[in-house]
Amino acid sequence: MEKNKIKTSTGEKIFTVFNYAFFTLLCLVMLYPFWHEIMLSFSSLEASMKGGIFLWPKGFNLDTYKSVFKNPNIYTGFRTTIIVTIAGTALGTLLTAMTAYPLSKSRLRGGKVLMTLVLFTMIFSAGMIPSFLLIQTIGFMDNILALILPGLVSAYNCIIMKSFFLSIPESLEESARIDGATDLRIFFSIILPLSKATIATIALFTAVGYWNDYFSTVLYIRSVDKWALQAVLRNMLTNTQQAMQQAGVNVMAQTNTNAQTIKAGTIVVSTVPILIVYPFVQKYFVKGVMIGGVKG
Amino acid sequence: MAAAAKPAKPAYELSGWERFKKDVVRDKWLYLLILPGMLFMLIFRYIPIFGNVIAFMDFNPYNMWNSTWVGFDQFIKLFNKPAFMQTFYNTLYISILKMVCGFPIPIILALMMNEMRNMKFKKVAQTLLYLPHFISWVVMAGLIMNFLDPSTGLVTALLKSITGKDLQVLTDKTLFVPMLIITDIYKTMGWGTIIYFAALSGVDPQLYEAAEIDGARKWKQMINITLPAITPTIVIMLILNCNNIVNAGFDQIFMLYSALVYDVADIIDTYVYRIGIQKADYSFSTAAGMFKSIIALVMILIVNFVAKKTGNEGIW
Repeated sequence: MEKNKIKTSTGEKIFTVFNYAFFTLLCLVMLYPFWHEIMLSFSSLEASMKGGIFLWPKGFNLDTYKSVFKNPNIYTGFRTTIIVTIAGTALGTLLTAMTAYPLSKSRLRGGKVLMTLVLFTMIFSAGMIPSFLLIQTIGFMDNILALILPGLVSAYNCIIMKSFFLSIPESLEESARIDGATDLRIFFSIILPLSKATIATIALFTAVGYWNDYFSTVLYIRSVDKWALQAVLRNMLTNTQQAMQQAGVNVMAQTNTNAQTIKAGTIVVSTVPILIVYPFVQKYFVKGVMIGGVKG
Repeated sequence: MAAAAKPAKPAYELSGWERFKKDVVRDKWLYLLILPGMLFMLIFRYIPIFGNVIAFMDFNPYNMWNSTWVGFDQFIKLFNKPAFMQTFYNTLYISILKMVCGFPIPIILALMMNEMRNMKFKKVAQTLLYLPHFISWVVMAGLIMNFLDPSTGLVTALLKSITGKDLQVLTDKTLFVPMLIITDIYKTMGWGTIIYFAALSGVDPQLYEAAEIDGARKWKQMINITLPAITPTIVIMLILNCNNIVNAGFDQIFMLYSALVYDVADIIDTYVYRIGIQKADYSFSTAAGMFKSIIALVMILIVNFVAKKTGNEGIW
């Protein structure tokens, strides 16, 4: 007991109290915008235009969601984004692992050169216009492949994956090799099953990237029915009038109509999938950072 | 006969070339595994990198082979263009401000969190803190526009009660950049904290016990144990940040800016987008983008070199 008293001085006690209070406040600041958006989406249009919605909805109703779900673009947006996210994540994660595994083998001839080639893409970016012209030249404009392919493998994910493979003891592979297994066999039936946690992490990083991708649609997709969800959302946020008409809301005479509720509802609808999955998967994100450090 | 003798040769007698061939054959499956990834890199990363040559052309998008070589003309045009030089200045100004204001915050937060003993609280706080990292800038911009709405925005009301003025942050030239900095910190600080936290979790608890026995107070422990433990991470983050000095945050600015604030908010990337994609002046905009990439490359090479010279670990 005596020892304990020496350890915590008054200053340290004050700091502890301050510390917890500070982080409690910070957490509220992180949560509040989303809470506010949800409350706004359940409020009536009139109340939202008067302002003053803080903690609870005013004039509670579900009209916003009825309007949001009347917009056909929401469905096509979800469809495109789900297809792109699933295909891109599955293919991208597999490709990343396949690329990283040989790079983790120091015996591989030319491995250093290949690693440098991968690393270089991380520190020198080709730029927007040449990438755009490439997609145009190979004829992927207005094709959802243009949303999937360019983001498949990132050097950063390769490095995380590679440092994990390096940590797998060589002896595990040796015994399989003695039994006559090829590297291909070893990779698919020993290495991949051992790397489930890291693969989950890479898959999540990739999935978040695809889910949140907005700009690829701006660059490559013309037809509205192929737009990714983020582009649909952006369109509704900036062209509210048009979005309201599409949603079947009777736009009022005043030109300054500010349909905060529709905007809020759209934000909620497109973010809720992330908020639901987030608590369950977030530990993998942290794991990824732990494995990769920042460095390969 | 010679062919029959060859395989019997012990490894140390093989010539370099023979050994090389033998190794390649041995690892053929590894090469097969890496092939698709490398093809991907070639097509989607290296072809566009080489595509930068159009910066030295007067590129004709309708007939590529009809384009003429113009040497450095595009770059000369670029540097003589006040509009571009302004975007260059804005880019550096915004990114340096973001770095100066934003870089220390995750370190401080990680150190503060490290002193918490309530693991459950710590975990919840972490989870909430880096939530915005996973929210797209489209959604973030939606939230920002909502909170800064001139008539109903909560932050607008708050600012009015403090300053007594009707401030329209999103269209105000003096307030737009501070808004960018604050919202950027809001979105990124939690994730940054996690990175330092990963480094902190590797510190041997025995070090703290030993320090306590020696009578070192918490503050001393932080300076002498915790801080040195995360220094390598700080250096790496600093290097990566310097690589980003020409990236002032395209997504964020693209979502929030308008012609009213071009003077202060137009950055190289947004400029390249408007000139290249919207006006289809491919060569000129590629020159602008290439100029940016080269600065980023030079920056990271210099900083990595300095880091290594001063006894830290670089990123390669």
